[in-house]
Amino acid sequence: MKEPIARPLAPASPASAEVRTPRVFAPENAEPAGPAEFELEPNTEADVLAPPRRMGLASRLAWGAGALLVSLGLGLAAERLISDLFARYEWLGWAGMVALVVFVLAIITLALRELAALARLRTLDRLKQRAADVLVSDAVGEGKLVLGTLSELYASRADLARPRQALADNSRDILDGAEFVRLAERLLMAPLDARARALTAASARRVALVTTVSPRALVDIAFVAYESIRLAGAIASLYGAKPGFFGFWRLTGAVLGHLAVTGGLALTDGMVEQLVGQGLAGKLSARLGEGIVNGLMTVRVGIAAMRVVRPLPFETQKQPLVRDFMPDLVKVAQAPRPPA
Amino acid sequence: MAQSPTSLVDEIGIALGNLADAASGTLTPTLRLGVTGLSRAGKTNFITALVHGLLTGGRLPGFSPLAEGRFIGARLAEYPDASIPRFVYEQHLEALTRNGPHWPESTRRISQLRLILRFQSNGWLAGLRGPSQVNLDIVDYPGEWLLDLPLLGLSFREWSDQALERAGRLGSEAEARPFFEALSRIDPAAEARDTDAETLATAFTAYLRLSREDGRALSTLPPGRFLLPGDLEGSPALTFAPLPRPAGAARSSSLYAMLERRYEAYKDVVVRPFFRDHFARLDRQIVLVDALRALNAGPDAVRDLETALSAVLACFRQGENNPLTRIIARKIDRILFAATKADHLHHRSHDRLEAILNRLVANAARRAKFSGAETRSLAIAAIRATREGTITEKGEPLDVIIGTPMAGESLGDTVYDGSGEIALFPGDLPEQADAVFAEDGGVHLNFLRFAPPQRLERNAEGAVILPHIRLDRALEFLLGDWLR
Repeated sequence: MKEPIARPLAPASPASAEVRTPRVFAPENAEPAGPAEFELEPNTEADVLAPPRRMGLASRLAWGAGALLVSLGLGLAAERLISDLFARYEWLGWAGMVALVVFVLAIITLALRELAALARLRTLDRLKQRAADVLVSDAVGEGKLVLGTLSELYASRADLARPRQALADNSRDILDGAEFVRLAERLLMAPLDARARALTAASARRVALVTTVSPRALVDIAFVAYESIRLAGAIASLYGAKPGFFGFWRLTGAVLGHLAVTGGLALTDGMVEQLVGQGLAGKLSARLGEGIVNGLMTVRVGIAAMRVVRPLPFETQKQPLVRDFMPDLVKVAQAPRPPA
Repeated sequence: MAQSPTSLVDEIGIALGNLADAASGTLTPTLRLGVTGLSRAGKTNFITALVHGLLTGGRLPGFSPLAEGRFIGARLAEYPDASIPRFVYEQHLEALTRNGPHWPESTRRISQLRLILRFQSNGWLAGLRGPSQVNLDIVDYPGEWLLDLPLLGLSFREWSDQALERAGRLGSEAEARPFFEALSRIDPAAEARDTDAETLATAFTAYLRLSREDGRALSTLPPGRFLLPGDLEGSPALTFAPLPRPAGAARSSSLYAMLERRYEAYKDVVVRPFFRDHFARLDRQIVLVDALRALNAGPDAVRDLETALSAVLACFRQGENNPLTRIIARKIDRILFAATKADHLHHRSHDRLEAILNRLVANAARRAKFSGAETRSLAIAAIRATREGTITEKGEPLDVIIGTPMAGESLGDTVYDGSGEIALFPGDLPEQADAVFAEDGGVHLNFLRFAPPQRLERNAEGAVILPHIRLDRALEFLLGDWLR
């Protein structure tokens, strides 16, 4: 049998520990505490792919020097060509000169247009951000700015003349920022949304149909790609982005990024209906099932494009859902609906 | 002890009424909108603007059924209760839109209106059914009568104590002196005589009338029918006055006992039917508060307004509705507190006005939220009488409002004759809402009353468009979800 033992768990506190008495100070002497700062823990784990590194000095030098050489060569070639032409016949030289000037001017115009298109895409992006801010802050001045930018954006659109007029009439009496945004969404975005939906539905139907009847898998992959690109471009133009070549690359990147993040599904979208619908169709015919899958893919591209280029967030209007397009896909065999 | 505002018999009546409504409402549901506001809060204006906006599909961009194009139209319909006069919308509108417009006259009697709203629902089931209808019932009444509602919970003794305390307060000596003199000549414990009761009632009525006109805007002045008696003038139920507490139990033949009986009769004959028929079965409520007038009059009036609002709003039945219990027990599930006459301020001050409003109705709002009702506050102007502008004074921009002040309004030494526009800077509202309650919170304000807008736009059909501030948001909150 053991004896009961008691042992202290911590060493006894040193007697010298100072007990602080209450004291009073003048408040001016106190340094005010700033707002609490939260330190974000640095993510030490390399659990995401590092973004591609920017070019190092050497490769930048290489590319830069190469580009310089190529442009020098082009310039030289042009100069040589013109002088050769002049050497042959003088009038040929002048003709070549004119052609060169026209070519350079056209290139500059194209470049400017590309820049404008990129700027427009950026404007749409910023506008959406600002509109979302206004919906929260309800600031009148900001709301008016958003409205102004939006009407400027659509000023040359003949199809929106009537909504623009209604917007101008109604916005005079509004004194709340968020109301401006809601009004603009109801008047300007709603008709565009309907058309974007119609475009998406038509594209998806085409894709489904082509997939169902095409003899080779390669054909429908090509067709899906082609149709998706066309659809994204059409939707961007509809909302006023009018992307050029480079703008289009940016748009494609944004759409793909959006698809990668969301999988093209809104939170409210149920996977179940899609799987069930697809399974049923697959039972009927394997090709039809594939057609529906490809159609759904196109629908997702359309929805992603809408979310990317729409200049206002979805507030009063319903978000487009993949589910909404199911009836269109199922009616593949029927005559297409006239666009709304 | 506070009594319940209704008796058991009333409760049964209310439940039966709800049941009847539910039965007849299966096809066309009826929404009862309670427009609540003390006198001169702008009830008649609000109702006129609301009815006009819905009838003509006015400029209401924030009202979603209209903005989304789902609202088909509205028309006036006959009210089912044949004993109550109709709200003369046409006359009020005519007054507002004629050449040389003026505000509708203050309401002297009860009136009601039914509006049938036709709309297409955007739900999938209702969409198949085609357009739906909703009846919108609105009642207009003199704001003075609203002050009677708290009496339902007070006994004669409690009410007497309150009324005498208020009359004896500093600042009302001049108005109350004749009444106190009459009171001192009469012994409440003596044998009841009609002449004594009449003398007291006349003196008391005179006191009420004087303190209302005095401009300190005393809003807590029940009984309201003393000021606007209607066809009950001179009847025993309206011939009583507060009396000091008797030493012991009063004999049943004494003056005290007689006045007590009359007070109870007043409650039974006048107040309770008014409450039961018009306020016990509401779906939605808008509380119009004229905070600016109280601010003009000073901290006393503001406190007074707060007390009156809390007392009145405590009488309403608020809380969440569910489809089953609604059949028998209707409750107000949405309350909008609206600071009216927001057009008398620049829109930059509207936030502060809303803060003051929130402070004024804090008690009522807390109570409503606790019982499950949704509340919101807005600064609105049902009919906007002014424009906005900026004036630079000493290099500093001042936000002003531009409008025509009504004849007799004065600022400093200038008295306006009602012709010609002015630009007014009414003073800054305090940043802290509590400052309006302080004796000298450094709040110096002067709001003038403005005449109705002189020139009105017309829409394509030739109907007048009444300008407003946030009437659409008010409608959206009050009716929007019924028209979904």
